[in-house]
Amino acid sequence: MYQVEASKALLKPRLWARQSARLRVPRNVVMLGLVSLLTDVSSEMVATVLPMYLVFSLGASPLVFGAIDGTYRGAAALVQVASGFSSDRWRRHKEVAGFGYGLSALGKVALVAAGNTIGGVGAIVAVDRVGKGIRTAPRDALISLSSARDKLATSFGVHRAMDSVGAMLGPLLAFGILFLAPARFDAVFVVSTLFAVLGLAVLVLNVEGKPRRAPREGTPPRLRAAASLLKDRSFAPLLIAAAGLSIASVSDALIYVGLQRTIDFDPAVFPLLYVMTAISFMALAIPVGQLADRVGKVPVLLAGQALLFVVYGVLLMTSVGYLALIACLLCLGGYFAATEGVMTALAGAVLPEGLQASGIGILITVVSLGRLVSSLAFGALWFAIGLHSAVLVFATALALAIALATPLLLRAQCTIADG
Amino acid sequence: MVSRGGKITVALVVVCVLLGGGYVVYAALGPGQTTTDASPSAGSVPSETALMVRAVDPSRPALNGRVFVVEDGKVRRRSEDLACERVYYAAGHGICMGVAPSGVDYTASVFGEDLVPQHSMRLTGLPSRARVSADGRYGAMTVFVSGDAYLSSPTAFSTRTYLLDMKSGERIGQLEQFEVRKDGAPFDAVDFNFWGITFDPADSDRFYATLGTGAHHYLVEGSVRGHRLQVVRDGVECPSLSPDGKQIAFKSRIDGTNRWRLHVLDLATLEDHPVAEERSIDDQAEWLDAETLVYSNGVDVYAVPADGSGEPGLLVRDATSPVSLGNRG
Repeated sequence: MYQVEASKALLKPRLWARQSARLRVPRNVVMLGLVSLLTDVSSEMVATVLPMYLVFSLGASPLVFGAIDGTYRGAAALVQVASGFSSDRWRRHKEVAGFGYGLSALGKVALVAAGNTIGGVGAIVAVDRVGKGIRTAPRDALISLSSARDKLATSFGVHRAMDSVGAMLGPLLAFGILFLAPARFDAVFVVSTLFAVLGLAVLVLNVEGKPRRAPREGTPPRLRAAASLLKDRSFAPLLIAAAGLSIASVSDALIYVGLQRTIDFDPAVFPLLYVMTAISFMALAIPVGQLADRVGKVPVLLAGQALLFVVYGVLLMTSVGYLALIACLLCLGGYFAATEGVMTALAGAVLPEGLQASGIGILITVVSLGRLVSSLAFGALWFAIGLHSAVLVFATALALAIALATPLLLRAQCTIADG
Repeated sequence: MVSRGGKITVALVVVCVLLGGGYVVYAALGPGQTTTDASPSAGSVPSETALMVRAVDPSRPALNGRVFVVEDGKVRRRSEDLACERVYYAAGHGICMGVAPSGVDYTASVFGEDLVPQHSMRLTGLPSRARVSADGRYGAMTVFVSGDAYLSSPTAFSTRTYLLDMKSGERIGQLEQFEVRKDGAPFDAVDFNFWGITFDPADSDRFYATLGTGAHHYLVEGSVRGHRLQVVRDGVECPSLSPDGKQIAFKSRIDGTNRWRLHVLDLATLEDHPVAEERSIDDQAEWLDAETLVYSNGVDVYAVPADGSGEPGLLVRDATSPVSLGNRG
């Protein structure tokens, strides 16, 4: 199993080189996609077996895993803005991203060496999350700076598709190893470490740190310049639109919980929900990105947001058949494909070259805060007025958010045309 | 043309494939498969009582999870077919929740008096609690559903509780889909989680369970056929009804922590008192008889008087998931 998968990874650069020639995706973007693919294989392998490992090998209560997982979720968000700004300030996006990837790889090594206590695993998970927080903004800035302004959405589509391939392969690989060597979690951790090291190696050896749009002259940006992005005439409207849209969007996890209340699932079907959404996302990310570059990012982004109405509609049904369920999951995948990557591409097009990572860091933080508000609000509404009424409120909020976002995003897009 | 960086990368890939593949092969062929005849050792099981337990020994897969029957202070029987994380048994019907033979999945099986599985089904998460009604008609299982990678929300870790028909081994309900009422009004929230069913010994349709939402852990009373639940009171987890149906043993959370003390609740007054066990216990207690609780600390099985007197005593070493097989005297 491992050898087959790994030789696939070996072939991937060449396959992708051919693919990318047709797609005209910069080599740097494909390499960053490969870095993310390898790193995601590594981290998803561990994420898949961690509950089993904690409970069966370390004798922890499953609740402990919940606590370990939840405690550090906030950690990643906090470092995003800081890492984004420092990589702009030092003009070292590759190095800052590399530090983040390196931290996660170190975490995997530590898991092999010292992951036999519950506290140790907790610390390692924390380091991994911080590493993820550090690398995201500079990595996205590199993708953006490697691409022409009119090809940004395609680049992000390619990167996100490759990223999700890694997220799908990781669990398969982990299960494959445990199938061959039952209860040998150390084998999973060793292979995961190797994938993390490979990801880091591809970054160090094959990713160009100063791509075509990277600023080379002028003074490095000061903190004040990064802060002034918050009132920038093209970036600020985009931030407001992104905040509104993320608040009005129910998170996929809550959508699955909602579906579960209305449909009497065979428990074996439940994991298929994520898999189907992921496959839909994977298949759509690249074509939707190309479409966004051709017809405009804003209409594609808004259409993607509107797909959520279908999902909300299914949640409002009193009995959900399998056809409606499949339609719902396809739309959910399409919504992801047309929003997160396209929004980042739009930010990449709007932001000045010197402040790409700072701006993207701010955007990610705003969106994750919006999602937090959304989840809390949806939970509170569900409790107060019931699931159906809560979905109706969110559908109304989504309509308002789209109405608010349309002029704001169009204004942001206009400034690209001006520049 | 392959760049120098590209060449080094390809070389690294080859090295990693060899290292990783080699390690997996080594792990697959290596130790960890040895069989052993060691078994849980009985501590001070009072004569005239019989217990079913599962052995704990994570380092020995051949032994870990095996089901044993301990009678009159001696290990009487051992199942060759059942490997469980959690086991329960009543009136000729048992549930065993464990890791599937593949080693990567979880299954539950329904077994009979001969300790041989009759039906099995896939589980969606880590086995947590199992119960069978005293008449052997209904079964209940709780699993922890782990947060999938695509899932990132406050509810990333949740439970599911299923009801089974023990004759057919079929699922007949899921508590998440039952209608809940509190103080006479409908009650619902996104973060509802259910766990730890206990059946009424006199009427198997009637059961109690825990409903977790926010910082609350409600004791709920339910009906299998009625598909409804009613909140009784707060602060009760993993309830276990006494043989006379008048008291409930449960784990009482120590303010906001993941630590618990065992308590016993009087259903007539809804008042409760702690038992003499002072360590944190994360288990659904079992009534050995009308006056004694048995439970595991994850390593060994202990017994303690239910009225709060006395002190805990070791019953069976290296075992968890104790099931009282009744007074055979």
